[in-house]
Amino acid sequence: MNLLFGLSPFLAVGVGALLLMLAEAFGKPNVAPGVETTDAGAGRAGELALGAAVILVIGAVLSVAVWVAGPESLPELTQVAPHLVIDKFTLFFSFTLCVGGALAALLAGGYLPEHGIDRSEFFPLLLLSTVGAMALSAAGDLLTLFVALETMSLGVYSLIGLRRGSPRAAEAALKYFLLGSFAAAIMLFGLALLYGATGHTDLAGIGAAVRSIGSPGSTVSAGKILISLVLVLVGLAFKVSAVPFHQWTPDAYEGAPTPAATYMAVAVKSAAFAVLLRVLLVGFGDERLASWGAGWPPALAVLAVLSMTVANLVAGRQESVKRMLAYSSIAHAGYALVGVVAAMRSPEAVSAVAFYLLAYTVSTAGAFGALILCGSRGAEAVSYEDLAGVGKRHPAAALAFSLFLFSLAGLPPTAGFFGKLYVFRTAIDSGLYTLAILGLVNSVIGAYYYLRVMVYLYMREPAPGAPRAVTMRSGFVATALVAAAIFVLLLGMAPGFTLDMASGAALTAR
Amino acid sequence: MQSWIPVLVYLAIASSVGVVMLGAARVLRVRARHVPPTRAATYECGEEPAGKAWIRFHPRYYLVALVFVLFDVETVFLAPWALATRALGGYAVVEMVVFVAVLLLGWVYAWRKGALRWQ
Repeated sequence: MNLLFGLSPFLAVGVGALLLMLAEAFGKPNVAPGVETTDAGAGRAGELALGAAVILVIGAVLSVAVWVAGPESLPELTQVAPHLVIDKFTLFFSFTLCVGGALAALLAGGYLPEHGIDRSEFFPLLLLSTVGAMALSAAGDLLTLFVALETMSLGVYSLIGLRRGSPRAAEAALKYFLLGSFAAAIMLFGLALLYGATGHTDLAGIGAAVRSIGSPGSTVSAGKILISLVLVLVGLAFKVSAVPFHQWTPDAYEGAPTPAATYMAVAVKSAAFAVLLRVLLVGFGDERLASWGAGWPPALAVLAVLSMTVANLVAGRQESVKRMLAYSSIAHAGYALVGVVAAMRSPEAVSAVAFYLLAYTVSTAGAFGALILCGSRGAEAVSYEDLAGVGKRHPAAALAFSLFLFSLAGLPPTAGFFGKLYVFRTAIDSGLYTLAILGLVNSVIGAYYYLRVMVYLYMREPAPGAPRAVTMRSGFVATALVAAAIFVLLLGMAPGFTLDMASGAALTAR
Repeated sequence: MQSWIPVLVYLAIASSVGVVMLGAARVLRVRARHVPPTRAATYECGEEPAGKAWIRFHPRYYLVALVFVLFDVETVFLAPWALATRALGGYAVVEMVVFVAVLLLGWVYAWRKGALRWQ
């Protein structure tokens, strides 16, 4: 029973996904009389969205429950290790992933019917992909890692291409699919090499083998380890969309339905960061690889600086708000990478990254949700001009949008402020002054394009004669925004509780 | 490296079979003065080919292929499981029932969504 309890967050979402799939297949189509449809789930987006959100909230609640019960006190959990490692780190991330997935599901409940994308597959696919993401955050073995990565990605590939008639969606889906499978292949090559060099598929065994390099009697080749480290880093840098592996991001987000882009930006990225932290700290945690002079920290530092700087500079020049948010997600990957680099010296940095990703998840999902509210059927809000005057026409949406943008820019009293604070503080504690200062400078640059949105929301009027974007109203999107806003304010004003939970999530490097 | 020698030998034999067969056909063939047009046809004594091979296939084939893969994967996992069930005990039986049930759900889904409807 204890084993089932420990695995309950995963089981709840997994079984829930299968049930939702059946519900979708056996449901009665809800279409206007006279409309022929072969799709049993047609017109049922609302119910399915509610079901998906409830299942994911159950998953999040169960993650907290297992966290409170303490995975250490459940010895049966070692039966599934190292394939699934259920520790506080995993549970914190599975909470974040469930929250991100639930917000995306609620946004889809409003967005898909409004924009006439009657594809009820969205919700089972979203849940199945979330199961993959949760398994990814728990993966302590190379096999689980790869299978979970593919489970997560396969769902996302189809979510992007959901708008079937649109060439842009097809381009986005194909681009993400081709580049994604290429990156997965590179990573798989690295994993195979890692297994070949060490003879282990579990990360702990790999870590021990790497530590034995140089000691008498060790047959592990340092060269192979370094090559596999590079290949694995490339694969994961693609998934977190760090510069220079980011080119797919703006196109994929722009072509995807906004809730799918939300899911990619929050859940896929968080899960990839979870697995990145675990692989680096458990598999490559040896002090010769996890040091400032050699190994992965300098490589990741370069990725972090490039991601922050390039993304912030390019984001300021975007005319599409969706593309701006895509570049913003790349910049945030850069800030989080600063925390990953700091994790080589302090276990606290791991909790800082975990907290940061939760803050980022709720802020980004909220910003995408507010953007959804600014448009309506046939006229999705895309450019800055579309947002002009929304402050008067839909004050609630504009207010929510501003709150989430404040959080993304890292202004107090929001979640984003504390996320950045903790990440940069652990960087300074670890002696990474340059990285911390570059991060701060970049946050200031980033504030420019977030505030630009607010200038359009409140201070601009639509150009005379230009078509006014009609704002939409939806209970689902409103619920998601209220939930995200509560999280943003709660994490911003009373971060102590969540931070305590995050600090339990620390992984130790060596 | 010793253990790889059989693989190399296998590779050498496999590639030489193809080369020898094509080479032997070239050496032993009977050279005809005139090639009748029927002999140059795709099937000398079979069906006349109609149209080109480069045509569009209906996506239905793709759906059927997907359902086929569903059962194919099931078989791939069932075969080694069947050999090891005795050693693994009752737990393995339960696990396989769960696995097959999940795959069956996929099949039911495909059936309900009309993937098997051939019209």
